[in-house]
Amino acid sequence: MAEVKQQSTLMRYLSSTDHKEIGIMYLIFALVMGVVGGFLAGIIRMQLWNATGGVVSPELYNQVVTMHATIMIFFVIIPAMAGFGNYLVPIMIGARDMAFPKLNAFSFWLLIPAALIGIASFFVEGGAAGGGWTSYQPLTSAQYSGTPGVDMWIIVVHLTGASSILGAINFIVTIFNMRAPGMSMMKMPLYVWAWLTNAFMILVGTPVLAGAVTMVLFDRHFGTGFFRPSEGGDPVLYQHLFWFYSHPAVYIMIVPGFGAISHIVAAFSRKKVFGYTGMVYAIAGIGILGFMVWAHHMFTTGLAPSVRAFFAFMTMLIAVPTGVKIFSWLATIWGGTIKFTVPMKFALGMISLFVIGGIGGVWLGNVPVDIQLHDSYFVVGHLHYVLFGGSVMSLLAAAYFWFPKMTGKFLDEKIGNIVFWCMFIGMSMTFFMMHWAGMQGMARRTYVYRPQFEGLNQFMSFGYVFMLLGGILFCWSVFKAIRQPAVKTADDAWNVNDIQDSLEWKTSSPPPKENFKTIPIVT
Amino acid sequence: MSKKILAWLPLALLPAAALASDPVSSWVFDPVTPVAQDVRDTFYIMLGLTVPFLLLPQVLLAYAIWKFNEKRGHKPATFHDNVKLEVVWTIVPALVLVAISIPAYSTLKKIEVPPKSDLVVEVIGHQFFWEYRMPRHEIGFANEALVVPADKIITLNLTSVDVIHSWWVPSFGVKQDANPGRITHAWFKAPEGKYKGQCAELCGPLHGEMWIDVNVVSEEEFEKWLEKKMNAAAAPADSLHSGLVVPAADTEAVNG
Repeated sequence: MAEVKQQSTLMRYLSSTDHKEIGIMYLIFALVMGVVGGFLAGIIRMQLWNATGGVVSPELYNQVVTMHATIMIFFVIIPAMAGFGNYLVPIMIGARDMAFPKLNAFSFWLLIPAALIGIASFFVEGGAAGGGWTSYQPLTSAQYSGTPGVDMWIIVVHLTGASSILGAINFIVTIFNMRAPGMSMMKMPLYVWAWLTNAFMILVGTPVLAGAVTMVLFDRHFGTGFFRPSEGGDPVLYQHLFWFYSHPAVYIMIVPGFGAISHIVAAFSRKKVFGYTGMVYAIAGIGILGFMVWAHHMFTTGLAPSVRAFFAFMTMLIAVPTGVKIFSWLATIWGGTIKFTVPMKFALGMISLFVIGGIGGVWLGNVPVDIQLHDSYFVVGHLHYVLFGGSVMSLLAAAYFWFPKMTGKFLDEKIGNIVFWCMFIGMSMTFFMMHWAGMQGMARRTYVYRPQFEGLNQFMSFGYVFMLLGGILFCWSVFKAIRQPAVKTADDAWNVNDIQDSLEWKTSSPPPKENFKTIPIVT
Repeated sequence: MSKKILAWLPLALLPAAALASDPVSSWVFDPVTPVAQDVRDTFYIMLGLTVPFLLLPQVLLAYAIWKFNEKRGHKPATFHDNVKLEVVWTIVPALVLVAISIPAYSTLKKIEVPPKSDLVVEVIGHQFFWEYRMPRHEIGFANEALVVPADKIITLNLTSVDVIHSWWVPSFGVKQDANPGRITHAWFKAPEGKYKGQCAELCGPLHGEMWIDVNVVSEEEFEKWLEKKMNAAAAPADSLHSGLVVPAADTEAVNG
């Protein structure tokens, strides 16, 4: 009997067009792929334990590095953000579902073949793509990477890109048209504002990446020469196109997290978010400025000094709206009564770590300094502070915060504390030291390195063990919570809505199909 | 492709074993060229201007965590707006960024506008080694240390015959991509010494062992070295690539 019921739940999910079920599927997908990406990170840390490497071959090392990044970006962080967005945005604006439920399901299901192709590429002739997730030309051209790995990587990018673009259209239409009566734009929760900005960034940026990788595909198979110097093409053009998407992609991976952090710090300080209007402008400002900074990834390619001067200034300028967000969060908790729940710990931890990532970003905007830090381990440290310290910590904060809403059950607080400290300590050990190694001249993406960095690298590898432990405990506590018998959980699970006044806490936990018995009216 | 790599393997690996164990020195702690010293100064100015913004939020956060713990049993404040404060924390960081930019731009100018050159070296990236040519002396060599005279302006013209490489010697403050189909430039003026670096742009499987060695020697030593090289170059017919297994890959980009 139980088995029959379980199968029917499975079938319900597989055929679902309900935004909540699709959101949950996105999150499960991201968690599973997080295990894969974390496993690849483990191979990297093992290889770098000794200066002389020896665990994997140089070819395989490059493939592991490439696919670690590809999986973590396209299959973990972006889908996890999309999962929370799918679940929460319609509820927060008082809608019954996304504007296009079937398109929503399609966006999710595109990810499954993408993930299968990505993983399968390790097992084809020549292995997976090994040109880095940046896939610079002509390294991944037919001449220098003739095996199918790169083609499969391009298909992965296309499928996930299509998924993102369709999702973005869905979010924009939903947010513009389906808000509950009375919810004007400036009454929308910050999480919804973050998603609106995010959706526009995806819509503007992703097609450019799709175009760039299509040109690579044509160069590889159909004799075009967009990026081949012998045909009058230009490898540097590829970098412009790639980074026009891939720099905003960093904001695509963090902006919804910003929105979540605003909700969480306000909830557990028992205060309203400080400077709502400023926060809205800051998010929108990051969204717009984010498209004017891409060439800071290319300061060593030989760009004209005037171009570098422009992009350097724009890059540093983006610190201003980011600073507004940081200061506004601090002002939000200022004078509050802080309750140290697990989501609050993750949120405060995220603020602390993201400040380090953000200042590192300013350093990297400074052209002469960037020229030296570029392609060194400093950049690896910086990007992990942004994507792990920023994105992953905010995702974990969101997971602990909204899990009771999604399931009617709480994640274990005691285990949650251990998860938090494992992640916080582990990532600080691994990624802080990367800054230090990079400043001393350690190059990135190398499968061996000079022995002077061996001690630092072993310390970093110890940090990985902490993060691994945190990851295992998190997966286990999710599993444990889901297996628990259902309990009656209050609509306002954290008892925060007297101050927060957000619609997701005004429906049951978990919400019924179509979210609300009657569409709420916002005053 | 894998066969091609196998063919180069011995070439790339043999000297690498010796080079890899030498420590590389940093542009922050051991800058030896005028550019590297300027980069370091730019860095320290920026460090001084940004560290307050790094520490302030951490200190405020730590204080708030201690001070506003709900266990203290106070009532939460109700403010959620302060226009003056918001203007201050928008304007002040913006001004600081302008202050950071000024030395950055003057250093950029120094990097970009070299003084009159004493010696031109053509740097050509290969998977996975560097080839150097000194056109004035009609010599070329690969996969060994670049030897240049001390305290002279050395200008580099960089390109690549295959994929993108990047010529990085941290203590010179030089990191410049070598792109196929393009020529890029860099310069340095260094005192005597042995300097280390490596390729800084992922260029294929053996990227991690594409080391760089630069020996900066006295004028007399350089002349002696030059003479030896020129004699060696005069002997065999194909001077440039004698004893060198240059892959028969495309040469589309080079030879400008």
